[in-house]
Amino acid sequence: MTIVTGKAEARRKLQPGRSGALRDIWEHRADYAYVLPAIAVMLIVIAYPIYYTIELSFYKTPPGLQLRDKTFIGFDNYTAILTSEVFWKVTWNTLIWTFGSTFISFVLGFATALALHRDFIGRGVLRAILIIPWVISAVAASYIWKWIYHSDFGIIGAVLVGLGLADRPPNFIDNVSTVLPSLIVVNIWREFPFAMIMMMAGLQTVPEQLLLAAKVDGANAWQRFWHVTFPHLRNVSVVTILLLAVANFNSFIIPWIMTGGGPSNASHIWITHIYELAFGRQRWGVASAYSVLLFIILMTLGYFYVRALSGNERKEGGA
Amino acid sequence: MSAIAETVSRGQTRRRMRVDGWRWAGRIFLVFMLLYTALPMIWMLITSIKSGFAATQFPPQWWPDEPTLASYRKLLDPQNSVGQDFLRFFWNSLFVSTVTTILSVIVAVPAAYAFSRFSFPGRNFLFFAVLLRNMFPAVIFLVPLFILMRAIGLVNTHGSLILTYLTFGLPLAIWLLKGFYDNIPVQLEQAARIDGATRFQAFILIVMPLSTPGIIATAIYSFIGAWNEYIYAYTFLSKNEQLTLPVGIQRFFSENTTDFPGLMAASFMMSVPVVVLFLVLQRYFVRALTEGAVKH
Repeated sequence: MTIVTGKAEARRKLQPGRSGALRDIWEHRADYAYVLPAIAVMLIVIAYPIYYTIELSFYKTPPGLQLRDKTFIGFDNYTAILTSEVFWKVTWNTLIWTFGSTFISFVLGFATALALHRDFIGRGVLRAILIIPWVISAVAASYIWKWIYHSDFGIIGAVLVGLGLADRPPNFIDNVSTVLPSLIVVNIWREFPFAMIMMMAGLQTVPEQLLLAAKVDGANAWQRFWHVTFPHLRNVSVVTILLLAVANFNSFIIPWIMTGGGPSNASHIWITHIYELAFGRQRWGVASAYSVLLFIILMTLGYFYVRALSGNERKEGGA
Repeated sequence: MSAIAETVSRGQTRRRMRVDGWRWAGRIFLVFMLLYTALPMIWMLITSIKSGFAATQFPPQWWPDEPTLASYRKLLDPQNSVGQDFLRFFWNSLFVSTVTTILSVIVAVPAAYAFSRFSFPGRNFLFFAVLLRNMFPAVIFLVPLFILMRAIGLVNTHGSLILTYLTFGLPLAIWLLKGFYDNIPVQLEQAARIDGATRFQAFILIVMPLSTPGIIATAIYSFIGAWNEYIYAYTFLSKNEQLTLPVGIQRFFSENTTDFPGLMAASFMMSVPVVVLFLVLQRYFVRALTEGAVKH
């Protein structure tokens, strides 16, 4: 990396101190032209909604979308949320949903990547089949699994009855105690392939010589994995887990289509709950306050995500 | 080598057995994952070729006594109302996804190039601001965007979807493409500049052709994202003739809830375009997706 890596590097070295910040921006005006369209789109459809959501969260809003008739109530929406029972129920569900889905998806995806790492006949085909659930729409996946779980004609129930494990088909998604795990199974089905793709790519960067050296030194398969392979995959693991966690935290389609949050809120997570508050019960103010809280949580997660990513770049630059 | 091999041969046979143990565990695990992945999809296909009556038997028919393509024929027949709706939803999805894809690429290419090559003040801040968008769920943007769309008269038009799909398509597109540009040596452009090309010419003539795989990957991602999108379409569109497939299927089958073969056939046909697109071009796609994350 001793060769000049381009204009960007050269410019960075020439950058003047703080006093020239404005001149600096002016000198780079041509560069901004490239990013301007992207920034403009993002500003309209992101900055404005964020501002509006924060504003609404401090108001009592009428049902319907005549939002001009709102009245300022300070933090009342927030206190209402934090003192409600549903909030804690939904938060607990969200934690189980997010951690359960993320952890199991990651472990299954990683294990599959390891099992697929060595070449064998049909590996490409197998990999392609395993990825498909990730590509098809969550709506289609929800209907497929709804049919599989169906309490009268579902195939899992039929198998359980056929094997003598149940007298009659169990009611997977209409049952308070089984609904969340049942939905998590569907979610993992859709998302372990993502972890698999990421970890397969990561595995390709583990240096063969190191593994060989460890083997010569008498390390067994598990030791080689734990001391050589796994440390090399730290970065990609962190990025994958964070992306999965954020995606799971933000899930909507599977719980919404399969159960709509029911029975008795047993499968409501934050996102579906906010949606129902806003578009179902038209409590825009409360839903906005929820969104702002969500926002704060996600900004925290985002901070770690960005740190993981820029950690990558720093190392890259130093190498 | 042979001396070493002889001295450790006993230990090695034992070790090889253990390695084989891991390999067998891996194979059994893969079979399990294959069943977990494939059985739901196979059951979707089997159900889709059943009659409505055959689908509602208990115990289920593992293979239909009289397989029939009636559901597919019904959905693809422009003569009856079911087929008309389905084909219209399909066309709407295709239109919205294609326009979104084209616009995403047009806007993302220069932005990603700038983030990769230039160093202007605020570059890192802007890049991460763009990335952060994908941390936020669609739901919190729904109310304000709905009001915004109403204000600019886009509610109940495909324009509202295309504009919003850009917001989640763009950050990923920019991220994917930046990874590709980072890997194209700057020296190639510099050589072109020395030969008298302007920066823009160097970009068009040198960088663009080299980044074709990245652009293809980005396009697939945008397309799949738009094709599968549900929440915005569910909220912004209310007229039957505008619905896209994910919402259309739902509306449609909430009316005749027992037609599971029809629902499975529709789910299958909805999946075909994206799965085919993905499988044909997965090499580019997987490379682009993982590029940024696996570097050390």
